[in-house]
Amino acid sequence: MRDERDSYDILERALAFAAATEADACFASTDHNISRFANSSVHQNMSELSAWLKLRVVVDGAVGTASTTSFDDGELARTAELARTAARHSGAVPGFAGLYRGGEALPDVRTFDERTAAIAPAEKARALRQMFDRGREHGVLFAGSYATGASSIVCANTHGVRRYATVTSSDATAIAIRGSDSGYATAVDRGPLDVLALGDEATLKATLCAGRNEALEPGAYDVILEPPATAEVLEWMNMIAFSGQAFEDGSSFFVGNVGKRVLGENFTFADDAVDPGFLPFPFDLEGLPKRRVALIENGVVRTPVVDKLYADRLGLPPTANGWSLGGGEHGTVFHGSIAAGNATREELIRSTELGIWVTRFNYVNGLLEPKSALMTGTTRDGTFLVRGGKVVARLPNLRWTQSMVEAFSSIDGLTRERRRVGAWYNAFGGTIAPVMKVRGWRFGTQS
Amino acid sequence: MRALLEDVLASLRAPALRYADIRVTTTSEQHVRVRNGEVDTLASTVDRAAGVRVLVGNGWGFAATSDVGEASIRAAARRALEVAAASHIATTETVVLSDVDAYVASWASAYAVDPWSIALDRKLDLLFGATEPMRSDARIHQVSGELFAYRQEKTFASTAGSFIEQTTTEVGAGIEALAIDGGEFQRRTYPNPFGGDHHAGGWEVVEAFDLAGNAPRVRDEALALLAAPKAPAGRFDLVVGSSQLALQVHESCGHPTELDRAMGLEISLAGGSFLQPSMLGQFRYGSELVNIVADATVPGAIGSFAYDDDGVPAQRFHLIEKGMFVGYLTGRDTAPAIGRRSNGTVRAETAARIPIIRMTNINLEPGTTTAEELIASTKRGIFVDTNKSWSIDDLRLNFQFGCEVAYEIENGRLGRMLRNPVYTGTTPEFWRSCDGVGDRASWRIWGLPNCGKGDPMQTMRVAHGAPVARFRGIEMQ
Repeated sequence: MRDERDSYDILERALAFAAATEADACFASTDHNISRFANSSVHQNMSELSAWLKLRVVVDGAVGTASTTSFDDGELARTAELARTAARHSGAVPGFAGLYRGGEALPDVRTFDERTAAIAPAEKARALRQMFDRGREHGVLFAGSYATGASSIVCANTHGVRRYATVTSSDATAIAIRGSDSGYATAVDRGPLDVLALGDEATLKATLCAGRNEALEPGAYDVILEPPATAEVLEWMNMIAFSGQAFEDGSSFFVGNVGKRVLGENFTFADDAVDPGFLPFPFDLEGLPKRRVALIENGVVRTPVVDKLYADRLGLPPTANGWSLGGGEHGTVFHGSIAAGNATREELIRSTELGIWVTRFNYVNGLLEPKSALMTGTTRDGTFLVRGGKVVARLPNLRWTQSMVEAFSSIDGLTRERRRVGAWYNAFGGTIAPVMKVRGWRFGTQS
Repeated sequence: MRALLEDVLASLRAPALRYADIRVTTTSEQHVRVRNGEVDTLASTVDRAAGVRVLVGNGWGFAATSDVGEASIRAAARRALEVAAASHIATTETVVLSDVDAYVASWASAYAVDPWSIALDRKLDLLFGATEPMRSDARIHQVSGELFAYRQEKTFASTAGSFIEQTTTEVGAGIEALAIDGGEFQRRTYPNPFGGDHHAGGWEVVEAFDLAGNAPRVRDEALALLAAPKAPAGRFDLVVGSSQLALQVHESCGHPTELDRAMGLEISLAGGSFLQPSMLGQFRYGSELVNIVADATVPGAIGSFAYDDDGVPAQRFHLIEKGMFVGYLTGRDTAPAIGRRSNGTVRAETAARIPIIRMTNINLEPGTTTAEELIASTKRGIFVDTNKSWSIDDLRLNFQFGCEVAYEIENGRLGRMLRNPVYTGTTPEFWRSCDGVGDRASWRIWGLPNCGKGDPMQTMRVAHGAPVARFRGIEMQ
């Protein structure tokens, strides 16, 4: 991980080579370590030191970008020339008022934990060994991964904006497997994780209702979704509904509905990078200060998320969601936050006469009918039958096909407790969500 | 470079060192996208990486760096040993590597016109020329066109004595029309969705796509879909077009025949496989008409190479032969589990990632029936093509696919266009219901540059050849 001075030196040189009236750049360097395991044995163990720079230049209102992983003057000059050439061949972006001009303070958030940065591969291996040994006591084998990383992120532009942050993350998943049954647990934090506790949680799910297996006919059932299930749905909502691109191309159900209540009153969803209990980060990669942005507030559509370019283009207030300079999505939620309710998981189960408790989904796809956010996927690693207010049996994995507009209009309850869930493509945040009970989720055939 | 890499390998000091390799990659990409008459994206990327992999006892260690200078590569080698030592703490499995010969070789994929030699103006002209005519109707809300150029230069050295240099040059292109009318939203693409079709080659490949020549049809079909009736639910004989069938092969044959998935090594992210080693040679996967090969030697396909990232030569072999499950995709550290030698399918996205089993070109072999005969011999059915949505369970059994377009088949003739077709099933039942496989004329190879697997996620470039084929009694939703 490069220090602040080294990082700024690279950025300043890149901006100088840009030789454009406007340019911005982002430089990130990361020390990332990940241990993957299967059959309760580490089979892939990796350490990576990486760094990349992305440079964006604006020539007469037109934008071009180029990126590199080498930072000597010759390579930076070449990268700048590629970006300039690209900009010269582009047309001016309609409505674009220029790069961010700064002048706003950053939120004071804690992003770095020395303990996480100091975790060595051997320390992780010892923690995993403990988890494996305890699993064997319960007759389960584990598969999963345990990653830790420390990064420095710097962005700057020709208007004098300078942003620097260091960030740590610990991210782990554990699947406990006993015969054909499995259970899943996941956690992500800025600080170290208790991997042993994660293994215990997965083991509990793998052994719950052991030997009691039932099947269900296809149909609509009440469903209790754990946060990893909801998080996967939200990843697709990000692509088909929340982004500036989806708003402009008309595929998002937000179009024509801003200011209208189209979802249930008990559903509030925000991009919230300043919540200290989540995975805070102070700015987006265009340098705008992060703040809480409500996309859906008590069921009312408020705004898509946008980068600066699309804020100008669409005439929307900036939301500080530029996570890839010049990226095609033009706004991404990297800190998805569903507001908590006031129930407990036990209360949600107890209030369910006949329903399905879902640990996580597999291979969700949200492209079936974007306007209604119709999605499909299957359940995985712990699907349970709830009958008479009790968890009574394990169910096979089930396919479902469901409109999320309909689902988020049919929420029966949300827990007070929320859990963080990471995502492979998101180094800055993730999703934080309560357990959610939804009426009438449409399940089809079993796997 | 060779002297440096061999010196680093020789410098590795660990009493129980069994194997080591080093890869160095430079990956260059260019992406050009136009949308509604504007340049949407013009981006260039150059990514350099070096990765050192060691096997010490039964512990693997891998360390990578984006700084490919000598000092960083040597430091990565030291870190790889440290990581392998850590692996020992929590490793219980015995690692057995299948034999590999030593190769000293240099290979490059062929192209006629270097895609980087084409001026940006010409690339933009081609995209605007193809997309602007599609904007002639107010219901066409968005048109877009994309071009991709990709080149990876890779150097590999191993303690097995190999030193291999490979360069791959690839291009991709596609156009899209997005039509909206009221609440109805329809997308039509050519030649393939999600960034077009991709092949090893140069600018000549892009020109051969004839994007402009296909644009009017793409526009007209997007508009027609707005008013088309919804594809019906129920069981139908399904004739699947080459493009959609290629993705069906990818999801329901390519992934479940990855031996690392079958052994549970990828279960935490990608999932496992219903095809277990005990089923090899015993399990009827499909009808006798179904022959699926893995072939990393197909010229012009993006799943081709000369040597994999274990240093094993590219090969062609059956996964499914006359409907029977006969083969897995394997690597040196997995093949011994089924008593075989590696068939050379281990690759990494760049040298910054660990090599894992990846599809190469997984191809459904053509049959003898023409596409016209398949339609003509179908009394009541549905023709579907071009993927819109895909989902399959973690064992690769229960799938659901949505397609961009469908047509009724009535008494052997294509009838009305249908919108939003969705079909579902389970993998063996689907392939066993195959009673007609199209001939070579209906067969085409499609490049998918974005197959995701591994953790950290690796995006791999794979391809699939497929003809048109017919499947009896498939459930439409």
